[in-house]
Amino acid sequence: MDKRYTLKIDRIVEETSDIKTFTFKHDLTAKPGQFIMLTDFEGGEKPFSISECSDEKFSITVKRIGEFTTRLFQKCIGDYVSIRGAYGSSFFISKNKVLLVGGGYAIPTFYFFAKVLLGAGADVTLINGARTKSEHVFADRFHELNIKVINTTDDGSFGEKGTAIEIAKKIISQEKFDFIYASGPEMMMKAMQNALQDQDRVQDQEQGLDYEFLFERYMKCAIGICGNCTMDPLGLRLCVEGPVLPKCKVEQLTEFGKYHRDASGKRHEF
Amino acid sequence: MQKSLKTEFLGITITSPLVLPAGVMGMAFSGFNISIKNGAGIVTSKSLTLEPRIGHKCPVVAEFEGGILNCMGLCNPGIVDGLAEIDQFKKRSDIPVIVSVFATNTDDFLKLTKHVNKSQANFLELNLSCPNVFDEFGIPLAASQDEVHNIVKAVKQISKLPVIAKLSPNVYDIVSIAKAAESAEADALCMINTVGPGMLIDTKMIKPVLFNKFGGLSGPCIKPIALKLIYQTYSAVDIPIIGMGGVTYGEDAIEMLMAGAAVIGVGTAVHYRGIEVFNKINEEMLEFMEENNYQSLKEIPRLEKLNG
Repeated sequence: MDKRYTLKIDRIVEETSDIKTFTFKHDLTAKPGQFIMLTDFEGGEKPFSISECSDEKFSITVKRIGEFTTRLFQKCIGDYVSIRGAYGSSFFISKNKVLLVGGGYAIPTFYFFAKVLLGAGADVTLINGARTKSEHVFADRFHELNIKVINTTDDGSFGEKGTAIEIAKKIISQEKFDFIYASGPEMMMKAMQNALQDQDRVQDQEQGLDYEFLFERYMKCAIGICGNCTMDPLGLRLCVEGPVLPKCKVEQLTEFGKYHRDASGKRHEF
Repeated sequence: MQKSLKTEFLGITITSPLVLPAGVMGMAFSGFNISIKNGAGIVTSKSLTLEPRIGHKCPVVAEFEGGILNCMGLCNPGIVDGLAEIDQFKKRSDIPVIVSVFATNTDDFLKLTKHVNKSQANFLELNLSCPNVFDEFGIPLAASQDEVHNIVKAVKQISKLPVIAKLSPNVYDIVSIAKAAESAEADALCMINTVGPGMLIDTKMIKPVLFNKFGGLSGPCIKPIALKLIYQTYSAVDIPIIGMGGVTYGEDAIEMLMAGAAVIGVGTAVHYRGIEVFNKINEEMLEFMEENNYQSLKEIPRLEKLNG
């Protein structure tokens, strides 16, 4: 049985005006890429990626986007919220030379992941992208890790000027990576997939660059029953078989970059 | 001779008696794909309504030791988009599909039936028994013999597909409700819908766990109730029953057959044993047949019917 845990907020860090990190004292035993469901019982329960995790505590990093997260932002240290999980698939832990490409508030999950990769002996390069400086997060924290970091903003207000994908294209044409990971808005990941396919053609590699992407879909039950987060045509339940999907699955997804389903199951184009 | 799970349901041959029930995985055509790939013999859509519904606010599921509470609240993309998912599935598969529809009155059930008549689906299931929309719609129709009779009768007059009535366990006299459906010429019954509803409380935050407060019970804890109601109904009617409620292992499915079910729904067990649960239960049923030397599902004995 998957237990629910009602926990006090132990620490809150304001990352930007719209992004906060909440820390809880709890042994979540999560793997990088997995998520929790969180509720305050006031209406709404949402999936959140894990940005830090140890035996004693874990953190989630949340962007304020709607009614639920606005309420969460009003909570203080010591307030209760209720969580279940960790759920879902996790990233493959490579021991070799890897590239992480992330955009905006999807970046913090790579902080947890980068630390695990370093522990496994991987050589890590990270592209930490955002639209503008005020939306760029975790630059200081990544700086403290023993990894190569390239900060980018679309408008050039912080780090290199350009999208994370533009920078990624340049790097994969110059350096050889064993594994690529991407986490961010769906159209960013679609552009990443196109860039990887282009690179495979240039290098004329039979196998091609291996990768995993972290996806988002509307989740309700998070235990693989309700079917709301099912991805076509494979019927992958993103809450169970995802949110991290390997290249062999991503290549078969007909809805990737095209449409997603809302809370009613109705399709919407990206 | 090779043991076989092949059977017939309302004139259609199926390779497994296991049914994906309404509400489980049936949102997208690909949810059907993965269920049949994993051994389901019939699939059922979400209960479709005339207009899309986003359902209740989350949390909509809560787990406890004996099973799961849910109050999805009939979320579905609406009859038009829902049937489009079914038609997309039917392009590549001849596995039978049950379209489940939900309405609160005869007129709307008839409107839904007209849509379903134009689809590729094989059977029409009338969800008369959702326990989780009480605030919105009041007592489920399946609580009233007259309502059940009148709706089934009206739908039967225009439906091109065999009609299945989905019944609620939350009634005092299941037999009279089942007979009301049969006398209105329902082709089959589907039972049981979720039990209760019930509730769970978070003791630290002093709040109901479900935002809707109440939700229907499913999972192992409801199996004895399901078996009893199916057995009572089987004893009293001649139409086939899709039996469900807490079926998790092959032996549960065999119990359903012995209680009188023609085919067996497997829903919540998808959580406990993965989407592979259909193949697992198929194999366990075959093992049971091997051990007891039954060649086909027909040879598995049913309980002697209740008197009267």
